[in-house]
Amino acid sequence: MKGSKAVGELKKLARDPLLLTVIILVIASLFVFIVYPLFQIGKVSFVNQSGEFSIDAYIRILSGSQLLTALTNSLVLALIVGTLSTIIAYTFAYTFAYMNVPFKKLFNGIAILPVISPPFVISLSAILLFGRQGFITKNLLGLENANIYGLNGLILVQTLSFFPIAFLVLAGLLRSISPALEEASQNMGASKLKTFMSVTLPLSIPGIANAFLLVFIQSLADFGNPMTIGGNYTTVAREIYLQAVGSYDMQAGSSLAMLLLFVTIVVYVIQKFWVGNRSYVTVTGKPTGGRRMIEKGPLRNIMFVICTLLSLTVITFYALVPIGSFIKLWGINNSFTLDHYTYVFSLGQKAIVDTFTLSIIATPIAGLLGMIIAFLIVRKSFIGKKTLEMVSMLSIAIPGTVLGIAYILSFNKAPLALTGTASIIIAAFVVRAIPVGIRSGVTALQQIDPSIEEASTNLGANQTKTFFGIVLPLIKPAFFSGLVNSFVKSMTAMSAVIFLISAKYNLITASILTQVESGRIGVASAYCTILIVIMIVALLFLNLLLSLFGGNYEKKQPKLKKHPKLEKQPTPQSVSM
Amino acid sequence: MKKWLNIGIIFVLVLSILAACGSESTGGSKEEGSKKEGNDPQGKLTVYVGFQEDHALEAMKQFTEDTGIEVDMIRMSGGEILAKIRAEKDNPQADVWYGGPADTFVAAVDEELLEAYKSPEADVIDDKFKDADGYWTGVYVGALGFATNKEFLEKNGLEAPTKWEDLLDPAYKGEIIMAHPGSSGTAYTILYTVLKVFGGEDKGFEYLEKLHPQVQQYTTSGSAPGRMVGMGEAGAGLLFAHDIIKYQEEGFDNIVLTIPEDGTGYETGAVGIIKGSKQAELAKKFVDWSLGTSAQEVGQRTGSYQNLTNPDAKEPEKAIRLDDINTIDYNPKEAGAERTRLIDKWDKEVNNK
Repeated sequence: MKGSKAVGELKKLARDPLLLTVIILVIASLFVFIVYPLFQIGKVSFVNQSGEFSIDAYIRILSGSQLLTALTNSLVLALIVGTLSTIIAYTFAYTFAYMNVPFKKLFNGIAILPVISPPFVISLSAILLFGRQGFITKNLLGLENANIYGLNGLILVQTLSFFPIAFLVLAGLLRSISPALEEASQNMGASKLKTFMSVTLPLSIPGIANAFLLVFIQSLADFGNPMTIGGNYTTVAREIYLQAVGSYDMQAGSSLAMLLLFVTIVVYVIQKFWVGNRSYVTVTGKPTGGRRMIEKGPLRNIMFVICTLLSLTVITFYALVPIGSFIKLWGINNSFTLDHYTYVFSLGQKAIVDTFTLSIIATPIAGLLGMIIAFLIVRKSFIGKKTLEMVSMLSIAIPGTVLGIAYILSFNKAPLALTGTASIIIAAFVVRAIPVGIRSGVTALQQIDPSIEEASTNLGANQTKTFFGIVLPLIKPAFFSGLVNSFVKSMTAMSAVIFLISAKYNLITASILTQVESGRIGVASAYCTILIVIMIVALLFLNLLLSLFGGNYEKKQPKLKKHPKLEKQPTPQSVSM
Repeated sequence: MKKWLNIGIIFVLVLSILAACGSESTGGSKEEGSKKEGNDPQGKLTVYVGFQEDHALEAMKQFTEDTGIEVDMIRMSGGEILAKIRAEKDNPQADVWYGGPADTFVAAVDEELLEAYKSPEADVIDDKFKDADGYWTGVYVGALGFATNKEFLEKNGLEAPTKWEDLLDPAYKGEIIMAHPGSSGTAYTILYTVLKVFGGEDKGFEYLEKLHPQVQQYTTSGSAPGRMVGMGEAGAGLLFAHDIIKYQEEGFDNIVLTIPEDGTGYETGAVGIIKGSKQAELAKKFVDWSLGTSAQEVGQRTGSYQNLTNPDAKEPEKAIRLDDINTIDYNPKEAGAERTRLIDKWDKEVNNK
């Protein structure tokens, strides 16, 4: 049965040359921008400084030096952060999808807030709040020798930075779970807890696994936070930077990168194996009623309190950034000043314009590409599909520093002489952003019964029309979160592009890093505040576009009106900013 | 309707794939553009700058004003510039490397990444601040200093440290911050200096071993210890005096700057021409300019208080005078050659013991 279906798909493919072209182009670009650079890095890891083949670097790492410690440290950290972030994200997402709580829109916005800021800003706030002179540790608690540097600080900062990614994945998923199953469970006498444990939770397992995987990998590849707040807790991404940039030892750096990739692939395969064979179809195209929200009860109150506390924490961390941008020197001279903005607007203009332009170009490419790949992965069978899926997810596991160096190594010669152009930065933006888009697309598609699409093709629509007419509208929330994610990631990308910036194209994050390093926290905060404002304005605009587009769409396709879920539930982003 | 949809889809796809593939065609045409510029002596110069951002921008402005030559520039740390130049070896993107410690330049010379050029302007510069073969020439010099937090000193009833041994006082346990020698040129200069001050590698490492328990953390960036002392996160930091002065200027007036009397090391910030530069003539003009007084006096206008290598240039008023302090005999060539071995040894015998 399955085999004949695959043959059928192949035949359909042959009849649809556009789809075939798309598959070939997608595979080709992934090959050029992910596989080939990785191959280059892999090659370098086996070549010593005199240009001969050697495995010395691997021996050096695995024989138990500081480099091995860095690897194990990173794994411990990523495991903790991944678990914590997923739990927090699930709590938030569940509350939004199942309960009527006050300030829902506000909570939603706050939950996504940490995404829109360069991560090491949270580290700086953490130092200001919990450091030795920290507002909380010293002024409120009266602690003398508080130590925020190290594992604890990293857990705090990374969880705050990365749980929104998990939230975006889980929010989309929980919203698309059909209430019919849960209602059936309750009608048959199951308690709310039982319903949750036996219906809702199992249905959300693919989302949980995806969310965990994304955070886990982000934590492994994070470079900004360990650099600011890691103290003596060495992590692998930072160690790669130290080896490649500090000790000029590219071989050791790339060997470490290869080991990191290996770990990520193993985790990915485990996740795939665990979730891969289950079916989670709940959107069938048949009409269902809207979900009855939990209006009161102790559970709702507890969740409300948890969300409030978490939101307050996030707000506290973020409030420091705009406040700091108007303060002369935090903790030393707390008088009001506009100097930092004068500096930014006189010297930082080019970086702001460049960052914005390049991100705007990268966003639709990454968003669309992510959905197309997700669609291909979930719905189509063709040769090389597994590889496509694997490769498209790989890019998130490559530490930015390594990706940057790999890009210069790979795209420095004709016919791919891209160094110094805008294209190379855009390519890096896209490659860094698509995994999240793909994951949320895949998660959303797994929930949708393919029979809707089959109906479309049976009625004579071709694959592309089906994709744009049926699939994309159905996974609109996932598509939109893909767009938001790529815009935001591009605006705040740091380690990947630090080697790709050129005299012609400079980026804000590189300027911020420079300012942080030279201790000008005020200027760095001013840059960040501007960055955040730009992003909020852009997201509001994006949101407006989406609602216009969505409105038109429903008029043309009255069929979808039977789907109350798609209309009644706003997308998480449409209410957020 | 169907037709329109298809056309629209094809359009979007072509557009996205063109851009996603990095638009080889536009990349190519840009390439041609820069080649054309290459044949024109009045083209643009591309410079990788290792200075602070505001200093870098101001310097480029001054250069264009003085010579009429347009410049594209990007600011990075010394190690990043080296990594970038190395990666771009087969297709150099920049012409000049301006600023950054001389030992990174020495590493670049070893890998044949630089072009030798003996500028006529370099004659006035002391031999110890330039490469004998002309691969790099010093533009500024910065000595190492101790940064201590005023409140910390008062609380412990200490005077600001004036000798390296002072840092071994029990009061400094867990209070000292310095960068990791593997990641920071500053920290490597500290390591090398200690070996010279204590008269040999064995004695020097003995001291470093005693210093290790006093150190709270090894940061990635060389100047970060100054910020941490200023914010009260640590009692004392080891970094370049001009960076300490810069922090004081930023408003951290609780930082006390002292220079070790028993000897201190220094870095030489250099300038060099990148091998394969398509603008060799303009690059030479840039080097000539960077050694002159106009270029060297830019720094003090933007809060960079390094000592200058051109004796005719007006030294920043706030800078520590090199003549007033006891500097060690710092040999960038030796420091560069011994770098990997010494850092490995430090990692094994001190950091991971």
